[in-house]
Amino acid sequence: MANRRVLIKRRDAVRNIHKITRTMQMIANVRFQAAFKRAVASKPYTEKLAKLVDDLARAAKGIDHPLMRQPEEGGVSVLMVITSTRGLCGGYNHNVLRTAGEHLKSLEAGGERVELQMVGKKGVAYLKFAGWPMDREITDIGETPRFDEIEPLANEMMERFTRGEIRSVDVVYMKFVSTGKQIPVVERLLPLTGLESENAEVAPAVAEVQYEFSPDPHELLNELLPATVRIALFQAFSDAVVSEQVSRMVAMTAATEAAEDIIKRLTQQYNRARQTAITMELLDIVGGANALS
Amino acid sequence: MENGNYGKVTQVIGSTLDAHFPEENLPEIYNALKLEVERTVLGETAKEVLWCEVAQLLGGGQVRAVALDSTDGVQRGMPILDTGSPIKVPVGEGTLGRVFNLVGETIDDRGPIEVEEWHPIHREPPKMSDLSSKTEMFDTGIKVIDLLCPLVRGGKAGLFGGAGVGKTVIIQELIARLARFHSGYSCFAGVGERTREGNDLWLEMQEAKIGDTGKRVIDQTVMVFGQMNEPPGARLRVALSALTMAEYFRDQTGADTLLFIDNIFRFSQAGSEVSALLGRMPSAVGYQPTLGTEMGELQERITSTKTGAVTSIQAIYVPADDYTDPAPATAFAHLDSTVNLERSISEKGIYPAVDPLASSSRIVSPEFLGERHYRVARRVQQILQRYKDLQDIISILGVDELAEEDKVIVRRARKIERFLSQAFYVAEQFTGFPGTFVSREDTVRSFEELCDGKWDHLPDQAFLYVGTIEDAAKRAEEIESE
Repeated sequence: MANRRVLIKRRDAVRNIHKITRTMQMIANVRFQAAFKRAVASKPYTEKLAKLVDDLARAAKGIDHPLMRQPEEGGVSVLMVITSTRGLCGGYNHNVLRTAGEHLKSLEAGGERVELQMVGKKGVAYLKFAGWPMDREITDIGETPRFDEIEPLANEMMERFTRGEIRSVDVVYMKFVSTGKQIPVVERLLPLTGLESENAEVAPAVAEVQYEFSPDPHELLNELLPATVRIALFQAFSDAVVSEQVSRMVAMTAATEAAEDIIKRLTQQYNRARQTAITMELLDIVGGANALS
Repeated sequence: MENGNYGKVTQVIGSTLDAHFPEENLPEIYNALKLEVERTVLGETAKEVLWCEVAQLLGGGQVRAVALDSTDGVQRGMPILDTGSPIKVPVGEGTLGRVFNLVGETIDDRGPIEVEEWHPIHREPPKMSDLSSKTEMFDTGIKVIDLLCPLVRGGKAGLFGGAGVGKTVIIQELIARLARFHSGYSCFAGVGERTREGNDLWLEMQEAKIGDTGKRVIDQTVMVFGQMNEPPGARLRVALSALTMAEYFRDQTGADTLLFIDNIFRFSQAGSEVSALLGRMPSAVGYQPTLGTEMGELQERITSTKTGAVTSIQAIYVPADDYTDPAPATAFAHLDSTVNLERSISEKGIYPAVDPLASSSRIVSPEFLGERHYRVARRVQQILQRYKDLQDIISILGVDELAEEDKVIVRRARKIERFLSQAFYVAEQFTGFPGTFVSREDTVRSFEELCDGKWDHLPDQAFLYVGTIEDAAKRAEEIESE
């Protein structure tokens, strides 16, 4: 029989947490809808663009572009990790960071110098705690990433890449597949290789089309390839936000249910303790009265 | 019939009876009364002696006594003899290796005993000026006990626990550990527990050897039993009988004596069973109003004096896991070291199921244990306390939501929790692990390194039922290779 006052205190504490998690769940739900709409809205554009570039690259064989070239020597490998700014989203950050950690190790094992760019306060806090040095902290991108926020990042990277400062750019983020499935992925942003394989679902279905280029393919790609990089990075950010909201929704639903279970259990315990105490007191009174008579 | 002061039985109620004695020759309180009873069992009639103890003088020559055995066959009008003194039990070297009941009769069928002295089971506790003031730790080789609630040599330790969390196992383990390396004498009092357990213990003690002397443990041990099958009067007095024998060793031989009592709660329970029959008004939760007095009279006698030390280890049953129940609460105050056994820990499969936060000892202080041991013990408790505080949050939100510092604490706490388990000598056939003795130095060092995070990389299971931290590392390798 636990102390009743302690039980009440605990139940109140759990109730407060329950209130918070339930609110968080509802907020996450709304935010998810919005983020989902944005991500879905930009997806056809991303896909069409990728397909177009893919087709072009295939049509104009032997194309050579600075963004597609693998630099031979020197430069650092940039690893950009997208985490959330807020917590209460279950294993979201943990999963992204674990994938990032594994990739980081494999890069370093390959003898590469890694430049770590961390997006989101949670990831920054984690690395600071772990004592891991970061080259760049990006914490000013909000929960609704705008294209004009992401564009400069992509531009800067492409510029450094063409200058040969950067060997490669990888982005680690949580890819949104469906509401039930999000997977942490490592995506290579630069150099632009394997366009065909990445869009494998689209490519083989389409028959070879002969294009007539105007202006010439080189000029066209000069315009289209940077756009692909920009949009790919933007898509990564959008996906990350959607995944974060889904994770939060799921985590908060589970938390709310867990809290409800605990409240139920504590209430039962409290009632039992109360009943026991009453019975005890009655026994004492009746026993005492009987002993006196 | 012996000559002496006879009275007549006038009333029998359960395990108490009233007798009438001549006014000028009333027996004193605590005097033993003797009654010869004819009992017929399966057609055979035998004469048996029934001992009673005077509890109240009712006036008008009426005496109320507690029967120390079953009152079957007692009739009104039977003659009852006042022996003129309290119950006496044999004391001395002659009692070693034997098993007694509370009135000092042997019950092991090993023939008569040779002793010179019989002592009354009631006496005053030692004088304050005779008490010993030495404080020294008593190593058990059990990590959790040595680290967090170390026993005191010449002190009293209590093992609290609800039904089936392992009190008796721990007390038997302590007998196996302490009595085996103990140079003095041991006394065991079985109070109201299972007769089978007493029998097991007796058989085991005959096989166990003391150190490498070749002597059997039983040869240095006296056992006194008043188990569950006995009426309340017997369970009420059997602890005193064992204590009287232990006191003799302390006072006359000066040897270090161990006194094991399993289970002191039954003593209080027996007291409450006779209390109402003696006409006392029940007090809180139905216990006797004299609960504290009875416990005090017993506990104050279990103490170390300048001539010798009695180290006592008592199991204390906690009804319905409620530590606020008056019986365990009363015993609590008398102890130097309290080892609380917790059901939720035994449910996790961690034995001994000692609650590291509720267990404590008077000597957990830098003065007695040294700065390092004290610091490590407190750190272990801090980590476990934090883990406990976080438990609700973890069960609602999951470990992922904790701050990084807290995640580290939770991971370490889980390892510490498991590392507090240990294989027992007496439980070898159940756990499949051989018993381990961990020196205090190793215990302190192991936990210090664990708190420092030196072993964070080992899997949690590696810490279950191992001895030192190096054993855990070895276990981790085994797990790895499997």
